[in-house]
Amino acid sequence: MTDRRQQTDDGLSEAEAIERAKQGDAEAFQALYDRHKRRVYSLCLRMTANTAEAEDLAQEAFLQLFRKIGTFRGESAFSTWLHRLSVNVVLMHLRKKSLPVVSLEETTQNTEEDSPKRDFGAEDLSLAGSIDRLQLQKAVESLPPGYRTIFVLHDVEGYEHNEIAGIVGCSIGNSKSQLHKARMKLRDILRIKRAEKAGKA
Amino acid sequence: MNCVELRQSLAEVEDSSSAEQQAHLAGCAACSTLVADLNLIISTAAELREVDEPSPRVWHSIASALRQERLIRPPGESRSLVASFGARWGRARWMVPAAAALLILVGIYANQHSLSTRLTKDTYRPLPVPANVAVADAGMNDAELLQEVADRAPFVKMQYEDNLRRVNEYILDAQSTVDANPNDAEARRSLMDAYQQKAMLFEMAMDRSLP
Repeated sequence: MTDRRQQTDDGLSEAEAIERAKQGDAEAFQALYDRHKRRVYSLCLRMTANTAEAEDLAQEAFLQLFRKIGTFRGESAFSTWLHRLSVNVVLMHLRKKSLPVVSLEETTQNTEEDSPKRDFGAEDLSLAGSIDRLQLQKAVESLPPGYRTIFVLHDVEGYEHNEIAGIVGCSIGNSKSQLHKARMKLRDILRIKRAEKAGKA
Repeated sequence: MNCVELRQSLAEVEDSSSAEQQAHLAGCAACSTLVADLNLIISTAAELREVDEPSPRVWHSIASALRQERLIRPPGESRSLVASFGARWGRARWMVPAAAALLILVGIYANQHSLSTRLTKDTYRPLPVPANVAVADAGMNDAELLQEVADRAPFVKMQYEDNLRRVNEYILDAQSTVDANPNDAEARRSLMDAYQQKAMLFEMAMDRSLP
């Protein structure tokens, strides 16, 4: 996932920073934090859609990692270890808040997302050329938590369905179905926003 | 395959690459637009991966917690003697067994003479770090030390020779590190430790009451 020989901002390779952090070197801890903070914080923010919660969770993820860094032997990539740990921290948080990690909808049930929309025309309302990162970010924040989790893990973080099934505790089929519905809902949200914008103009 | 079946099939075959999907898409503009929109969402999603920056508060809180839990070592403090030697001194890892050997001798010394108070006062006094290494103790050089113990029991004599060799290596190693980085507090402390070890060795050698 990440080349451990890559250098951190202060010139340390990641492997060097890890070894020095094991010895309690403050600069090494900060180098590791600086290197991974955006990825971890962005993950937390996407999954919670809340800045304060995301910062608390990012802090918790790094603290858990640094407490265990003495046990890191390099069998897996450091970034893989950190990101998986971060996902677990966020999921634990969602479960504590009684938010569904996976949508409770039956995966085999046909929902409105499966049916063609009659409200919109076809090509004239295509999203092509009309969405950017910020618009998608806002649309993701408005997704129901269950859909949001699967979408972020798969389409943003790059996990495979079998990995997601293991992480969140659902079947592979359920993960695929939830992801498809999440994408369809995002499309609807983005199209509505586009239509609203066109109406105001 | 109709439009509903196409949309349902996208959950399983996400890239719409199956022959049935392709056949439907070729004749359905609405579904083609849908697939294009989904692909656009997927490609834009990757841009959300690491775009947000946490506030400085996050690192300050982490660093504070690490200090409280003593996972961050204050400057100049070793987290562990063995780990520190391993990481910094490499060749000087032998100091742990050497120190143990010296402690055995000190134990005999203290036991026979009940001079624990004197030992603490005399042998653990802070020694200045000289600018240049002269591997000798005040008034006595290595050859004289070996001469002093020449008539001791063979095992004890060997122990002195071995300890002397090791402590000299330790001094040279520590001194070279201090020379390379005069501001390295840990290196300077290790050099003083080495001289203290050697002073203790000489003191024991001169005490004829020891075995």
